[in-house]
Amino acid sequence: MANPRGATGTVEFVNTTDSANVPLLDVSDVTVKFGGIVALDGLSFSIDRGTICGLIGPNGAGKTTMFNVVSRIYEPTSGTVKYEGRDLLAVPAHGIAHLGIARTFQNLALFPTMTLLENVMVGAHSQGSVGVWRAIARIGAARENRRIRDWSGDLLAQLGLARFAHVPAAGLPFGTLKRLEIARALAARPRFLLMDEPAAGLTHSEVDELGDTVLQIRRDFDLTVLLVEHHMSMVMRISDKVVAMEFGRKISEGTPDQVRNDPKVVAAYLGADA
Amino acid sequence: MWKIHEGSARHWMIRLLGVAVLAFVVVWIPTQMSSSRIGQVTDAFILMIAAMSLNLVLGFTGQISIGHSAFFGVGGYTAAILIKDHGWSPGYTFYVAAVVAFVVGCVVALPALRIRGIYLALVTLAVAVLFPTLVRWKKLAWLTEGSMGIDSVRYEDVPVWPILGELKGREGRAVFMFWLGLIIVIVTYLVCRGIVKSRFGRALVAIRDNETAAAVMGVNLTTTKVLVFGVSAALCALAGVLSTLKSGVITPDGQYVTLLGSIVFLLVMIVGGAGTLWGPIVGGLVYVLLDNTTRDIGTNDSGILGTLFGWADQSPATLILGLVLVIIMFAAPYGLVGLAKRLSRKVVVVIPRPAGTAKPS
Ligand SMILES: Nc1ncnc2c1ncn2[C@@H]1O[C@H](COP(=O)(O)OP(=O)(O)OP(=O)(O)O)[C@@H](O)[C@H]1O
Ligand SMILES: [Mg+2]
Repeated sequence: MANPRGATGTVEFVNTTDSANVPLLDVSDVTVKFGGIVALDGLSFSIDRGTICGLIGPNGAGKTTMFNVVSRIYEPTSGTVKYEGRDLLAVPAHGIAHLGIARTFQNLALFPTMTLLENVMVGAHSQGSVGVWRAIARIGAARENRRIRDWSGDLLAQLGLARFAHVPAAGLPFGTLKRLEIARALAARPRFLLMDEPAAGLTHSEVDELGDTVLQIRRDFDLTVLLVEHHMSMVMRISDKVVAMEFGRKISEGTPDQVRNDPKVVAAYLGADA
Repeated sequence: MWKIHEGSARHWMIRLLGVAVLAFVVVWIPTQMSSSRIGQVTDAFILMIAAMSLNLVLGFTGQISIGHSAFFGVGGYTAAILIKDHGWSPGYTFYVAAVVAFVVGCVVALPALRIRGIYLALVTLAVAVLFPTLVRWKKLAWLTEGSMGIDSVRYEDVPVWPILGELKGREGRAVFMFWLGLIIVIVTYLVCRGIVKSRFGRALVAIRDNETAAAVMGVNLTTTKVLVFGVSAALCALAGVLSTLKSGVITPDGQYVTLLGSIVFLLVMIVGGAGTLWGPIVGGLVYVLLDNTTRDIGTNDSGILGTLFGWADQSPATLILGLVLVIIMFAAPYGLVGLAKRLSRKVVVVIPRPAGTAKPS
């Protein structure tokens, strides 16, 4: 399942998708309960390969919970999640990356003592194969390190973080670390990328720039993207499809225009503060 | 400030110089020092190995263990039993002890899969307390010889290594144990270095920094934690074997077999520098130096240290180191090595090799 490809000149992708009519991700009737709180309530939606799907909803709607279900951090109370037709709920948390699924975290989940380069190198964990015995015996470890280091360095450069490569992550500005999250996620050579509020804390012009970055990496890496974002202009501009949630339920789904004008969505957002 | 590039000729020169100085000191010790001094350095080696092993689990992976004295004991007892009961040649017991301790370590790791922090500390503490009790257990007396422990497990005659020349008597044994200890220090260091500078080592630090994120990156938390505990226990057992061969005895009250051993390893590791490759080595040296300079304070009862620590009936090294530890916690989170690194950065900065296939602009 690991993908030990040789070092490549530039950041590139390999398209391994096959049966094109199965949706890439198929979430059906997923419920997640935390004690008395119902975070997800029978949520169903699907994402087609190669698209950008926006996931919106007021605070506490259950968007991050959805991410945590897909990355196998939360066990749903009921429901099924299929990825490329395969039962995702049978895969352990650490198997997700090997399937080509990567994510970023809303509130940053970086490795603070590591440099940015090392953070990205851990992101490429699924792209390596050296375990404890080979590390001790030094069988192929140096070569793998060089390959992953170069690959990670290229990614940092692509996201404009090259000059911080050898700086520890702790203490850098929030916006920089948000980009680092993206670089780290890309290091796994994912086919499916989940981004949890990548634009949080950015200024207006930075948000526009980020929107372009997302479109760019989608093209460069041949990605399918699930994007959670509160910046409506960005979501509406770059998404092929938008799913709106409230109280753990889907309230609307369709093209950006359809969802934007859906009275239920308008009501949900007027009720909330957004 | 002096800037040098990683991997440049200058950088290699500095490294080579460091190795040369180290090698000089290391050769100087057994040729010029008295055999009791040599023995003290060997004691430092034993501590270095144990602290390096603990560092893998605690310093790099962030899994607290107060149970390493048990792994130390497992090593010591495995060697003693094989030599005494089965007539093994001491050299081979290192391998068996490592394998046995690896298995024990993997089992002890199981709680670490579910619990963290203070709870893991308590479980490993229980292991440390349990081990001497188990060894004393009447039903195991056929194996461990109870509280009496196992004695005369030394080398009958130390093996002849041509490079060392002929080694005779007490002196010769001290010199031999020194070199044997040094070899195991180097092996342990290389094992740790190999691990830390690899994909597996990055996974360890990732677990320490953010377990959930590590799993999302594809790190298998279960196997990684179990393996690192196993390897760590195996290395710690080497220290146990060395200690047994040096002193010739192992008892359930042995210096590092009891809970106190775990505490000393912990102190050595943290004072030297947790999560650094050289920390435990520096820490071991500092501890033994301190131990030997303060040992007599209790009996002399003079001077300021005597007044401060005279009441302690044992060597106050642990006590003093404990105080040093508190200071270090505030002044240098990465111990003496971290402090040295920070200070040296004011003089020399090593610029890392650029990462990436693109030409630096
Ligand atoms: N681990 C947890 N334990 C208990 N409750 C939780 C947990 N995680 C989420 N919740 C609850 O589930 C609900 C949905 O939370 P979630 O974080 O998924 O919302 P969100 O849509 O991401 O909101 P935001 O826009 O603020 O990020 C909230 O009521 C939250 O308090
Ligand atoms: Mg959220």
